[in-house]
Amino acid sequence: MVSVLKLPFLCIIGTLIAAFCMPVLARWKRNLCAPLATFVTGIVFITTIVIAYHVMNGEPIRYAVSGWAPPWGIELVVESLSSMMLMLIAGICFLILIYSFSAVKHEMESNIIGWYYTAFLITMAGMMGLIVSNDIFNFYVFIEVTGIGACSLVAAKGTRQATEAALKYLLLATIGSGFILFGIGFIYMITGHLNLTFIAAELAEVKDSYPFLIWTALSFFTVGFGVKSALFPLHLWLPDAHSSAASPSSAVLSSLVVKVYIIAFLKILFIAFGLDIFHETFIRHLIIILSVIAMLAGSFFAFVQIELKRRLAYSTVAQVGYVFLGIGLGTPWGLAAGMLHIVVHAFMKTCLFLTAGAFYYQTGIKKVNQFAGMGYKMPITMGAFTIAALSMVGIPLLGGFISKYGLALGSLEANLPLVIVVIIISGLLNATYYFPIIGQAYFSQEEADGHHDQNSHGHSGEAKKFKLDQVPLSMLVPIVILALGVIYLGIFPGILLNFINKTVTALL
Amino acid sequence: MDLELLYMNFPYFVAIILFSMGTLIVLTQTNLIKKIIGINILQSAIFLFFITVGNIHGGVPPIYDPNLTDVLYINPLPSTLMLTGIVVSFSVTAFALALIVKLYLFYGTICAPNFMKLK
Repeated sequence: MVSVLKLPFLCIIGTLIAAFCMPVLARWKRNLCAPLATFVTGIVFITTIVIAYHVMNGEPIRYAVSGWAPPWGIELVVESLSSMMLMLIAGICFLILIYSFSAVKHEMESNIIGWYYTAFLITMAGMMGLIVSNDIFNFYVFIEVTGIGACSLVAAKGTRQATEAALKYLLLATIGSGFILFGIGFIYMITGHLNLTFIAAELAEVKDSYPFLIWTALSFFTVGFGVKSALFPLHLWLPDAHSSAASPSSAVLSSLVVKVYIIAFLKILFIAFGLDIFHETFIRHLIIILSVIAMLAGSFFAFVQIELKRRLAYSTVAQVGYVFLGIGLGTPWGLAAGMLHIVVHAFMKTCLFLTAGAFYYQTGIKKVNQFAGMGYKMPITMGAFTIAALSMVGIPLLGGFISKYGLALGSLEANLPLVIVVIIISGLLNATYYFPIIGQAYFSQEEADGHHDQNSHGHSGEAKKFKLDQVPLSMLVPIVILALGVIYLGIFPGILLNFINKTVTALL
Repeated sequence: MDLELLYMNFPYFVAIILFSMGTLIVLTQTNLIKKIIGINILQSAIFLFFITVGNIHGGVPPIYDPNLTDVLYINPLPSTLMLTGIVVSFSVTAFALALIVKLYLFYGTICAPNFMKLK
């Protein structure tokens, strides 16, 4: 029996090995790629549940890679927030891989499929490594692994727009990681350590001697992670990359990849720099201002988009603003709600992107004004879309409500009541761009009838009839599970909040 | 202004100037190959910065020599970290060039503004 301490390490290594088996396997038997990738991810998911169970009932896992003790070697630390994120990453990736079974064949050329799974698994391993690592140079390595994996996920679609978006993403992401590496250099200059725990101990002693260096390092980290996680004025790469990728890739990019950078930023900000520096410098105000602008501007931009996936991508910009707002508030409720929003948004946005892919699969539509009668043509998919969209708006009993409510409580705790107004306005803006789609799908029949009349007169009544979705079961099942997950999070958020609060109370 | 201090910290200024130049080139140049060159300048600036961080004035390379006792070795860790940095820089450049080749096959040009016209 392997010790539970080794499990996070084995998860990452196992995923990476599976990733590099994929192209070989694709050359031999192409149809085996999808089941093997899903199988490996499923095992990793079960392992992460074991890790989460262990962490929740005991101490955080600390594992020194290949036996080198922390100040010299690389250390992996899994506290309760990280274990939850690991579970989220493996779970969402598992569902997306099930969805990929038929979606990838439909949206990509068949000779690329092996490489798609390679990129997917590398991205997943990079994300998990970034979550569990406790060494800031290791952060940089996994940031680059995740970044290149994500770029190749975009490029795997192979169209003009996707290639262009992938190059844009790659260039801006490299600038972002350059800024992060510079920040790491500054930290190393000040403290002489690369391990987060040791940096924290050293910075607490010497922080008064180097005020300017600490400011510089903080601003480099803010810009770097801002570019990586698409904080508003630095989000330029996101809409292109997320809308032009294939829908399973967009789902993983939008729901997980931008979030793991936020977790890394949170660790550097709260563990390495510590609360004193967080409150003394103006970094907190900067983050709050940027996130408030992101929440409003992202929603405005989403409102004017016609293409469904582009609208969802801009909506991600707004939702990243919510998470950053939670970090900026820095109060127990604010931070917990920000972290909860990562989970909730992962469920909602994955569900929305996967349903967008399903709509495209059955009917070939991409624009938001072609949804007339969709509620009758694809009732299950449209139902899941409706649940996720309502949760995005923040309707009670759904996941989005809990995190927004928590953010509102957090802004009261931080003595910033005006932020609540922004949260409400942003929620209403969400409503303005999701409700027309839902309304069209369920209540507008004229357009669908007219369309049928043009084709054949005999079938004009058929559009009103209730028909089950014509998409494969492997696409429907993940969508339904995600929609049920959104409802579950809205009614029973307690388990997740336990996970989050255990870390948040340790950080604050 | 202490000129001696300025002289001692000269590599840091070079690193910052190169970093700014690289960022500017990536963001403003329209030719995609020039953008890649900008990325490389930016990353070289970071390598220079890290190596300068590890340097000690009057230190010797960190190779153990039993004949030399009581010498000051420079810090080898930042330089070794940059080996990883160079590998990352290399792979990003290779990937970006591959994407540019693909874009050239699509559009017949590597100048970004022309893409809009050709669409």
